[in-house]
Amino acid sequence: MSESLRETLDLALLWEYRVVLLKGLTMTLGVFACAAVLAVAGGLVAALWRVSRFRVVRWVGTVHVEIARNSPDYIMVVWVHFVLPLLLGAIIRRRLEFDPFVSAVIALSYVYSGYFAETFRAGIEAVPRGQIEAGRGLGMSERKIMWRVILPQVVRRMLPESVNQFISLFKATSIVSLIAVPDLMYQVGIISAQVMRPMPLYTGAALVYFAVVLLCANLLGLLSNRWRNKVFA
Amino acid sequence: MAEIPTIRVTDLHKTFGALEVLRGISFDVQRGSVVSMVGASGSGKSTLLRCVNHLETATAGDVLIDGISLCFQEGKSAPRKPRSLAQINHMRRDLGMVFQQFNLWPHMTVLENVVEAPRHVRGMSRAQARDIARNCLERVHLADKSDVYPARLSGGQQQRVAIARALAMQPKVMLFDEATSSLDPELTDEVLAVMRDLARDGTTMIVVTHEMAFAREVSDHVMFLHNGLIEEQGLPSEVFERPQTERLRQFLNKAQRPR
Repeated sequence: MSESLRETLDLALLWEYRVVLLKGLTMTLGVFACAAVLAVAGGLVAALWRVSRFRVVRWVGTVHVEIARNSPDYIMVVWVHFVLPLLLGAIIRRRLEFDPFVSAVIALSYVYSGYFAETFRAGIEAVPRGQIEAGRGLGMSERKIMWRVILPQVVRRMLPESVNQFISLFKATSIVSLIAVPDLMYQVGIISAQVMRPMPLYTGAALVYFAVVLLCANLLGLLSNRWRNKVFA
Repeated sequence: MAEIPTIRVTDLHKTFGALEVLRGISFDVQRGSVVSMVGASGSGKSTLLRCVNHLETATAGDVLIDGISLCFQEGKSAPRKPRSLAQINHMRRDLGMVFQQFNLWPHMTVLENVVEAPRHVRGMSRAQARDIARNCLERVHLADKSDVYPARLSGGQQQRVAIARALAMQPKVMLFDEATSSLDPELTDEVLAVMRDLARDGTTMIVVTHEMAFAREVSDHVMFLHNGLIEEQGLPSEVFERPQTERLRQFLNKAQRPR
């Protein structure tokens, strides 16, 4: 094996810096968890807007979704961290600064809420009309029908697809080091600069991302299948 | 004594764009009676039934439930104000609808399907709603399937659950929209048997059906719809045995030919 290849795969360096790297991973997971919750919630709200009875509300939902999913997350992170505080600050006439963590969560959850909104909407529209009419026929309000008939089915149906989106979101968190959120990639960058050996660290980081995603995605897939199969036999 | 009919339909019109589906239909349904609507596909009978519980908004005319307008608010203002969605929902509690496609909710068990409306529309306690639901499931002979999901049931069983679900709201009228049309012939009978029991128990029913033998057997009154109008109506014996119009004669000939 060539010297440079061996160096690339020398994961001893990873072990040496395990404490710092683990701290980075924890931060990565923190950003992911917060952004995921907000993205799903935002996506649900946007989806409900998009299927609203009122045209203006539908329109607002469409604008939200289009902006969210058509912006590169890289730019969104930078923009939220550096431009948004200026804009808001101008409005309230005060100097405003976001914590990098907060900016990262806002930016990523905003972008991904666009994807989740579309998944939700597709799920909502996939529920057969007859089931909605059955609810109406029994005197259920539109809101009750949405929450008790439609959404419980949407959640079950969209789980497999949302696993992919959670994976994308998790991987997308690797860009938050851009605004100095001390995540896994940030630590890797710092250590690389100190020891001048970036390759094993980046390879190791890739393995960590891979392992986490593989583990979580499979677990989630397993759970969602078990839950779905009971109903959509 | 002139009793207030449970359902009174007055001069009902419905158009879809340029298409006039209902062209002025009026009839009464007295408490405890069974009214059947027969007619060819496209004659407007399903649309009529859907107007009766406001799943379709009538273009003109009104539906009165126990003398109260379903389409318009009380008061003398002219033109009369249409009812709000909330008011319509409230009045729909009294109208149990059974659809051709069953339309059970797949994520709920049989019992949960039946409990849903009494619990979350009528606001009953869980225990009370369950009692009623079990009772209704017994009436359709499916008490043993309470904890099964609809996907595991046959079409006939699903339709019986749908009937139980509508019954659980203790409606004043049951509306059946071709309840057996999407079932295989061998599954049709179990559903018709349940409907026959309901009729015998004095349930007020409006039945849109292609089952002529059933309509003849259980109905107190039969209406033959053609092109959005009631072409002929009367006692089942009159309508089926002494049709007055050529159209009804032709329709019955076709309908009663063995399948």
